[in-house]
Amino acid sequence: MAGGNGAQAGRAWLFLLPALAVMAFVGAIPVAINAWHSLFDILALDDKFWVGTEWYRDILTSDRFYASLGRSLGFSALVIAVQFPLGLFIALNLPREGIFRSLGLVLLAVPLVVPWIMIPPIWLSLVDPETGQVGRALTWAGIEFDWKFNAVHTWILLIVMDTWHWVGMVAILACSGLATIPPAFYQAAAIDQASRVQVFRFIELPKLRAVLLMALLLRFMDSFMIYVEAFGINSGGPGLSTAFLSLDLGEDIKAFNYGPAAARSVIYFLMSLLIVYAFWRLMRAEDAEEAEAR
Amino acid sequence: MTRLLKVAGFLALALFILLPLSQAVTLSFVSTVTREDVPLGSFTWLNYANVFRTERLAASLINSTIYVTLNVALCIAVALPAAYAFSRFRFRGAHAVFFALLAFRVTPTVVLSLPVFLVFARVDLLNTPVGVALAHAVFNVPIAIWILESFISAVPRAYDETAFMDGHSTGSFILRRLVPAIAPGIGTAAFFCFMFSWVEVVLARTLTITDGKPITTAIQSLFGFSTDIGLVMAMTTLSLIPGLAMIWLVRNHISRGFTIRV
Repeated sequence: MAGGNGAQAGRAWLFLLPALAVMAFVGAIPVAINAWHSLFDILALDDKFWVGTEWYRDILTSDRFYASLGRSLGFSALVIAVQFPLGLFIALNLPREGIFRSLGLVLLAVPLVVPWIMIPPIWLSLVDPETGQVGRALTWAGIEFDWKFNAVHTWILLIVMDTWHWVGMVAILACSGLATIPPAFYQAAAIDQASRVQVFRFIELPKLRAVLLMALLLRFMDSFMIYVEAFGINSGGPGLSTAFLSLDLGEDIKAFNYGPAAARSVIYFLMSLLIVYAFWRLMRAEDAEEAEAR
Repeated sequence: MTRLLKVAGFLALALFILLPLSQAVTLSFVSTVTREDVPLGSFTWLNYANVFRTERLAASLINSTIYVTLNVALCIAVALPAAYAFSRFRFRGAHAVFFALLAFRVTPTVVLSLPVFLVFARVDLLNTPVGVALAHAVFNVPIAIWILESFISAVPRAYDETAFMDGHSTGSFILRRLVPAIAPGIGTAAFFCFMFSWVEVVLARTLTITDGKPITTAIQSLFGFSTDIGLVMAMTTLSLIPGLAMIWLVRNHISRGFTIRV
């Protein structure tokens, strides 16, 4: 291990400088501008007056905010409950080598490269009762799938679509965790006549924990702040049944309510920070445990 | 029996993933608006011909390609020295920087879109692929740093020391020795940067009002009173091709990309 002397620290920061400069320009400065603007009523950029914490009070005392928060949390919970078991199951059953492993990984990665804005139209055309393959099958089976006006159906469509979009990432990350397990571990387990469940519980799961935590963070944040896909399906409807946190913010921005939009952005940013902090603590604990085991 | 189940499972997965795409690809070859010479619902190449005949659609394909390429180059260039620092140096504040990177990686783009727009308006970076490439760095630089760091950490430290004894400076070591040694890692990082930049909508749309519009905006502009869904799907199908090509190139590395350390 290299020592933590001053010269080395100086060099480390020098190496970090380009990345930090970019992150400051497109990350930190914009967040700071948001924080500043959130304290004003902005009619135009040079015509604004101080309102202090009024927007924050408005947002944090509105029922709409808590309703959206609840819906976003519910959506994230459902997404994780579906995608983690499924992604893990896929990763564990994917062949360990050969053409089918490559094919499987390629297949899993395909939905990840579809531009987000295309995903809703693709799925809407799929469930179209007259022209869509799934839509016609549902009609044939006598199921009336009404994603436009039936809230439960909208939610089902969103979750199936999101699973299609992201389960591959969970599976690929799980595969990368599994790939770090030396074959000797499995041989030892076979000698001990360990059951499949025991192999998973005592060999695979410990190796997967760090990578699954990362997947959980990415999946939780992306679903918690889902925007493009949810807006594309039903613009938050029917009623407000799929009005998630980000959709409320999008509404503020589109209505040119810059002050409230900035306050909302700051609130969402602080929520992200809090969540990331929780995950980060978990990951550090994980890391320390692993270092101790070594 | 288990073998049969596995085959069935694989086929089910393939069906689930490919069905929506097959629908899109099929529709892209079907005439979906009333035309004088081509009957509604018949096979046609017209949708693709129309994409390339419509200037803003063809231009959007080029714009997207430019900003994604620039973004990948920028992210790798700034992430490589940073990843090297995280992997090889112990320094006070490393954890804090890592935490900040993580936080910006997951900050929703809707939150950043408005102030980034204001900053870019001030420095004349609107309506150009350069601006979009720079804006997308906010979520891609952290990803590139993580991936590269894990690959650099897999290279034994003795490798660095031998090179230094051969007279390499740190810069020349990174470029001439480290880059070839972690080539698969650079490929993986490039893949993930490409992917996240290619699929992003909100920033790309916000930052291009009059010019330099990406594919995603072009597609959106196709939706209207009477949407030519065939044309939309032709555009969608075309937008998949670069992504599929990238996946095929890095197929053996994508599952190795993430060995996360904090």
